[in-house]
Amino acid sequence: MVAKKLDRLIEVQRSAGGSVVRPSVFVPENLPLDVTTLLGLPDHLRKSALALATLGEGTATDLSKDTGRVRAVESDYLNQLVSMGLVKKKRKGRDVYFYIET
Amino acid sequence: MAFHSYKGGTGKTSIVVNLGALYAKQGANVCLLDYDFRAPSLNVLFKAKPEHWLNDYLEGNCEIVDTLIDQSQRFHLPGKLWVGFSNPSLEALKDIMSKDRKWEVKALTKTLAGKKKIIDEKKVDYLIFDTSPGAQYSSINALAGADLVSLVMKADEFDLEGTKELSKGVYDALGRKSGVVLNKIPLEQIAAGGGAEKFGKQVESDVGLPLVGMIPCMCELMAIGGKLIYAIEKPEHAFTKSIAEIAEKFKKM
Repeated sequence: MVAKKLDRLIEVQRSAGGSVVRPSVFVPENLPLDVTTLLGLPDHLRKSALALATLGEGTATDLSKDTGRVRAVESDYLNQLVSMGLVKKKRKGRDVYFYIET
Repeated sequence: MAFHSYKGGTGKTSIVVNLGALYAKQGANVCLLDYDFRAPSLNVLFKAKPEHWLNDYLEGNCEIVDTLIDQSQRFHLPGKLWVGFSNPSLEALKDIMSKDRKWEVKALTKTLAGKKKIIDEKKVDYLIFDTSPGAQYSSINALAGADLVSLVMKADEFDLEGTKELSKGVYDALGRKSGVVLNKIPLEQIAAGGGAEKFGKQVESDVGLPLVGMIPCMCELMAIGGKLIYAIEKPEHAFTKSIAEIAEKFKKM
C-alpha cells in the first residue's frame, strides 16, 4: 500500500515537473546485494532488486514489465539502487542496462 | 514452492519428498532441489551418487540441469521426478559455511536463473525446494526463488514464537504467497476436543498465514520415514492421505 502511494507520488511530481522526493532509506552504501541486504530494503526498492536478480540484467522497461510499474518510476528506483552501490548500470547503444555484479 | 521452518526436525524433507512423489504419481512433472546444504538428506532417501551436486552448480562448474537425476522410472511414476542433490561430504559442508556475502549474491542470482532453466528445459509443473531451518542464506535464496512458501511447524510454543518472527521478517518482506503446515501433532490433540483445531486457529491468527494442513504425529514415520516414500508405497496410509489433502490445497493457492 505504501509502495503504491510512493509510486503515485513520484508519478504526480514527475508529471508536474517537480523534483522527485526520495524516501529515506537507511541502508549502508556499497553492500553486496545478497538476501540480507535485500530484506533490509524498503518494499518498493526490494521489488525492483528482486526482479533484477531474477532477470539477470535489463532496461527499466524490461523491469517495469515484471514489477507492473510505469517505466519512469522503475527507472528512478533502479537509479536509487545504483546510487546505493547495490546495482550497476551500463550503456548499450541508446539503452541503459541495469545488472547485479556477481 | 519452498518448504521452510524456524526449527529443525519439523518434517520438511518427508513432506517435500512425499508431496513431490504424489504429484508425479498424478502425472505431473516434478523437480525436488535439496537446498539444505548444511544437512543434506535427499541423497540418503534416493540412494543417489550424482556426478554433479547443486554445490557444483552454485560454484559455476556445471549447469543446473546437469545436477538432476530422474527417479520416475525407478518408482514407476507416470510423471517425471527430477531430483537435485546437495553434497553431504564434510569438505562440502565446511566449504558452504566459509562463503562470504559476495558469493551469496552469486548464489541468489544462480538460484533464480536455475529455477527458470529447470522450468523451461524440463517442462516442470512443480519445482520444490527443501531448505535448511532458520534464516540461512541458502534457505532465503530458495524462498526468494519460490512463488509459494510453506512453513512447516510442530505444535509447540517454541516453534510458534520463531515462526512469527520469520513470517514478519522474511515471508512478508519477500511478498510470497505463504501457508503453514502443522506437523507431528500428538494424537490426543487431534482427537475431538483435543485442542489441535484451536491451536491451528491460533497459528493462523498469530502468524498471519493460512493453515494448509495438519499432519498427526506417527512414530513409524520417525523409525522408517527415511527409507521409503509413503506416497508411492503406502497410498492408503494416514500420512499419505494428509499429504494428498495438502497437495490439493497447494494447487488452489
